[in-house]
Amino acid sequence: MKFWAWVAGGLVALIGAALALLFVVDALPVFRHSGFGAYLFGSEWFYRAERFGILSMLYGTLAVAAVALAVATPVGLGTAIFLAEAPLPRRSRLLIKSVVELLAGIPSVVYGLLGVLVLREVVFRFLAPWEPLSGDTLLTAGLLLAVMTLPTFVTLADDALRGVPAVQREAGRALGFSRGEVVRRVALPQALPGLVAAGLLALGRALGETIAVFLVVGRQDNQLPSPWWSPAPLAASGQTLTSKLGGAETFLAYDDPLHWGAMSGLALVLVLLVTATTLIGGRLLVGRGGIRAARG
Amino acid sequence: MLLKRRLGLLAWLLTSSALFAASSSLRVVGSTTVNPVVVRAAEKLKAEKGLAIVVDTQGGSSGGITALADGRADVAMASRPLTDGDRTKYPKVDFRPVEIGVDALAVVVAKDVWEGGVRALSAEQLRSIYDGTFKNWQELGGPDRRIAFFNKEPGRGTWEVFVHWLYGDAKKAPHVAHLEVGSNEEARTKVASTPGGISQLSAAWADGRRVFPLAIRLPDGRQVTPTKEHLADGSYPLARPLLLITNGPPSATAKALLDYLLGPAGQELVRAAGYLGLRDGAQQAAPLPQKGTRPTRSVGALLAAPFPRPQP
Repeated sequence: MKFWAWVAGGLVALIGAALALLFVVDALPVFRHSGFGAYLFGSEWFYRAERFGILSMLYGTLAVAAVALAVATPVGLGTAIFLAEAPLPRRSRLLIKSVVELLAGIPSVVYGLLGVLVLREVVFRFLAPWEPLSGDTLLTAGLLLAVMTLPTFVTLADDALRGVPAVQREAGRALGFSRGEVVRRVALPQALPGLVAAGLLALGRALGETIAVFLVVGRQDNQLPSPWWSPAPLAASGQTLTSKLGGAETFLAYDDPLHWGAMSGLALVLVLLVTATTLIGGRLLVGRGGIRAARG
Repeated sequence: MLLKRRLGLLAWLLTSSALFAASSSLRVVGSTTVNPVVVRAAEKLKAEKGLAIVVDTQGGSSGGITALADGRADVAMASRPLTDGDRTKYPKVDFRPVEIGVDALAVVVAKDVWEGGVRALSAEQLRSIYDGTFKNWQELGGPDRRIAFFNKEPGRGTWEVFVHWLYGDAKKAPHVAHLEVGSNEEARTKVASTPGGISQLSAAWADGRRVFPLAIRLPDGRQVTPTKEHLADGSYPLARPLLLITNGPPSATAKALLDYLLGPAGQELVRAAGYLGLRDGAQQAAPLPQKGTRPTRSVGALLAAPFPRPQP
């Protein structure tokens, strides 16, 4: 049994490494063509002019994920505290939790359709004073992702909070803390690493989500804020790493080493981003508080 | 031990039957414009002859041609002529296009633009929208509203036919970054729900309720609407062939599909989807070297067919 576990584990690691290597090899022509820095930080992507700079897509991906986290973390934290700390009967607690987890099981294309039919309209009206060009904006994509990442965050945050030993809560109560004070001064600080991990894993999901974002982000190239901190592009359409990869351009790039390299580079950057956030999140989760404590 | 062996056998059976199913059905990939006709034909052929045909629109016309070239599809659907570019890109592929109908490419606008008085645009005006010179409908006699141009993704047949008409060659089209849409459904939904919206769309999808097809203003001042009559008499400039393409001679199933679509029942499906059938007299869609050879299944004739040219 142990032997097979090693073989399976090794195989998975091997596949992961081979995948990353493949992207690196495929992306080499574009790194040679533009230089690595110009590829990462170039602000113009015009494939027919062989100008490949992915900064606007990096920006789109990070902006959309930031909006998603900014909305999902406060709401999710509130839900998690309610689930873990409120004096609920076990049965209704499980019911609420399974409803939240059910949200995670809805296929993302369904979220995308809801986004096209409902959220675009709502955001367009909301942004009316700023005269948006359409309802396809980075904000729309971010809000949609917030709903999609919420279940991930709630489940993990709930586990982290429940991982805080009951003895510590009781000690807090014995010292005269109210229920709210126990949450604020005992449970939340103890569960912090687990909560940060929940946020990072939700971020990983937000970075990699494709189809729902694809349908509402507008897919307009070369949209960058000016000055760099301006929130204006949130109310305009944009492009993310995933929405670019999900489009028809991937098929055009086929058989053209340079263009294909540019697309592979997008995949490589995306994989690195998602892997990094997930690894850090997972490390935090297993390291302290989090899952191990919840099981103990 | 026995259980393990059984599980293994089961897994093997499952995978091998899945592989078998995948290899025995005909895979058709490409244009969302051609898609509804082929889907209906596939349903008919499944019911009548038990043929398994899988239809997918991943990547549009160029996606279909790519899938055909690297063997992921048996038949490509395209809503644009094959180009020299396709043939230089895939020199080993023996493209065999068969035209099954003709479609008009319409320029559609949202309701507020239509009701604001914009009913026709010239090629010159469309070029100015495409390159970003015009940003407000007021500059075109319409309402005071920003122009929300939803460009069809490069690689889609609709986009290629459109920029070929405007610029003579897709390579000469200016480098611009617009909002982008993929399938016909997406283009229609987004234009309909966006004030000031405009996009390129197959005329068969321009319903006149949610999105409104504009007339094209010709250099001589005539305004031509994308109707079947104007397609048939050749006066509407944005006509394009609907193609099914095989690599080399078609397989038995592919041939059954092609024969069905070229026959009376299939041509009825083409017309029901809003396109022009082959015998409906569309001379202009893809001018052939010799007159009177339509409907054609000759490879050479269709390969030689140029894109619709811009009016001088």
